[in-house]
Amino acid sequence: MYGGDEVSAIVVDLGSHSCKAGYAGEDAPKAVFPSVVGSIGPSSLADGVKAEGEAEELKRTLYVGTQALGYRRDHMEIVPAVKDGLVTDWEIVDKIWDHAFRERLLIDPKEHPMLLAEPSLNTQQHREKTVELMFEKYRPPALFLAKNSVLTSFATGRATSLVVDCGGGSTTVAAVHDGYVLQKAIITSPIGGEVLTDCLLKTLESTGVEILPRFSFKRKEIRPGEFELVKLEFPNTTESYYRYMQRQIAADIKESVCRVADSNFDESAYANIPTTSYELPDGKVIEVGSDRFKIPELLFNPALIQAIPGMDKSFNEFASVKGIPAMVIQSINKCDLDIRRELFSSILLAGGTAAMQQLKERLEKELMEEAPQAARVKVLASGNGIERRFSVWIGGSILASLGSFQQMWFSKAEYEEHGPSYVQRKCP
Amino acid sequence: MEPVVLDVGSKLVKAGFAYPDQDPSMVFSTAMVKTKDEESDKAESEDEEIVLEDVVNPISRGIIKDWDLMEDLWRYIFYTGLGWEVGNEGQILITEPLLTPKVAREKVVQVMFETFNVTGFYAVEQAVLSLYSVGRISGCAVDIGHGKTDIAPVWEGALQHNCVKRMELGGEDLTKLLLEEFTKKNSERRLDLATAEMLKETVSAVADDYAAVIRECPVEEHILPDGQVIEVGQERYMVGEAFFQPSLLNVEELSIVDSLFRCVSSCVPSENHRQLLENIVVCGGTATMPGFDARFQKEANLLATPSVRPAVVKPPEYMPENTLRYSAWMGGAILAKVVFPQNQHITKADYDELGPSIVHKKCYS
Repeated sequence: MYGGDEVSAIVVDLGSHSCKAGYAGEDAPKAVFPSVVGSIGPSSLADGVKAEGEAEELKRTLYVGTQALGYRRDHMEIVPAVKDGLVTDWEIVDKIWDHAFRERLLIDPKEHPMLLAEPSLNTQQHREKTVELMFEKYRPPALFLAKNSVLTSFATGRATSLVVDCGGGSTTVAAVHDGYVLQKAIITSPIGGEVLTDCLLKTLESTGVEILPRFSFKRKEIRPGEFELVKLEFPNTTESYYRYMQRQIAADIKESVCRVADSNFDESAYANIPTTSYELPDGKVIEVGSDRFKIPELLFNPALIQAIPGMDKSFNEFASVKGIPAMVIQSINKCDLDIRRELFSSILLAGGTAAMQQLKERLEKELMEEAPQAARVKVLASGNGIERRFSVWIGGSILASLGSFQQMWFSKAEYEEHGPSYVQRKCP
Repeated sequence: MEPVVLDVGSKLVKAGFAYPDQDPSMVFSTAMVKTKDEESDKAESEDEEIVLEDVVNPISRGIIKDWDLMEDLWRYIFYTGLGWEVGNEGQILITEPLLTPKVAREKVVQVMFETFNVTGFYAVEQAVLSLYSVGRISGCAVDIGHGKTDIAPVWEGALQHNCVKRMELGGEDLTKLLLEEFTKKNSERRLDLATAEMLKETVSAVADDYAAVIRECPVEEHILPDGQVIEVGQERYMVGEAFFQPSLLNVEELSIVDSLFRCVSSCVPSENHRQLLENIVVCGGTATMPGFDARFQKEANLLATPSVRPAVVKPPEYMPENTLRYSAWMGGAILAKVVFPQNQHITKADYDELGPSIVHKKCYS
């Protein structure tokens, strides 16, 4: 019962790596910042056992946003908001929303309906908590929770498709049919962009390259035109912050240098490949050779992770994990026979990791080998890397500005009358 | 009649017809004084007779806070200052700071068309205009204003929203710092804000090597307008240093050059970083402090990786001398010559048909 044509809705997509927020109707989110916070103070909910009341008394200062995180503070720990795809700490989520609305978008939440994107495997409890937190604290006139896969599907204008969301924290394959996610066909894998970044970091460290975070060095001019590197010591910097800043640099290396191999990665075949150079912030130039292809290969062959030095302790977690092509086949096989054909011909790629070069071509090739003969395999991905990163958000932007959607909002009056559990009926 | 370019800042209003080879014809203080029932403007020189509490400012930290006062200010600028006649208003180009909320933009458009009946309207961010004023369409604008500092990478005329940084630091914080330092030195004498402001503009400078200057600094004597003599020593360099070491202002921020580099490196794609860093525009009143440019360049050279040669761009010779001070206005004058004749602006007919939300479509941001 919300007519909103004049006041545009706000679309918020809180992912495991970054939070995207902006106005509906636009083609890119205005506010994009990491979904981790810097926390100074007693770490309360790290083990997740403390009750809500106790957590309030353990005062900690939280810093959100790229600017606040970029400033090095003593004892500041990096705490993620989302782990394994689901929200772990609601106080952090609250702070993140607050930052997005008050400091980045500069809006008053009371005046704009909110469209929130949620993971496809979100539990009933999480949904109710999201709705409750939103309505009680921010009081928007209306709210809607939409699943990530459905929004990606809308972004490309399809109601039925198989969405492969390669995000930061995990990769999720979900089948969407007529705008609804088929719950039984959702497959997730913990291998996401952050795992790839970690592997790259460990690989570089094992070859002796030390990645110095930006705050830990300074350059001095000893003679005109000649510079010398001076290392700065900050003994009170936490390990998690140091690693976080290192990961940011490694992520940039990954995004500029890594590509997916054309076919199955073979150590010997790529041993002689010419190296690409990359300049680190401290001026050092590193050469990346076969690792460029080895790291993204993890998406297709997770067992390779044992080959990465320093990562073998997590091998047991990844033992049962399949590569993306296998996940796609498994997901489609769990769906009804009649829609399988349609799903094969509309496989959508979304997420930051999906922006890696050659991923689409490789996936198509692998799927054509493994799929049944009669099926016609088509993998779709928007050409622009930026659009792939934000496809969930863009889908939300499209959905919230559709005329026919305006009657589907979960309004504040309905919340007050029926309570948070009503969300199950209103937002299927 | 030429289009009017209007740049209203936290401290100064710059307004004038769009002649890019001249300074804005009206430059005066944004501060207003309430007189009885109506509001009116007084120029800064008369402020001394007026009690400080009566002075109000419609703009706070770059953003319009009081819309009624703002309307009065606009009325003064258009009809009294620029000589528009009711019924024969012209076209207007307005500048806005970073992170302006959508609602605020729509409100400005609404007031302009409904209260003032302008015939054409266009709005642009100040960062983009500052780049135009030095003849670039890609680069980074570091706009150090009175109430806020904006650091904005612009690529081919499009502001990169995700990488901008807005610091709530500006000239007014420097004035407060100067005031504090003086009160610490001689507590029996009280300086008022206006005098401190004037003093800051006359004496402050940026030292090349701050540590050396703090150790020994010659003390100079200055005569204040009321006849008193005041000694100025190292405070003048402290004020200049504040943007390079914000801890002097008790703020948890990185130095302005560091912030610039972080912003640029968060820009995608990374091939653009080089061009962004080789076209840096440092503008705004504070940036005209002696030594600021040289120090900025020096720090930028230290922070850049060897393959990039950061360069702080100087305005071309054919632009007037005060370009960096009024860069947003100058850029606006240049842009006005392009936008209005080519009919890319919002006309009255457009507004009547589509309402205020047309500003988001036509004035791309």
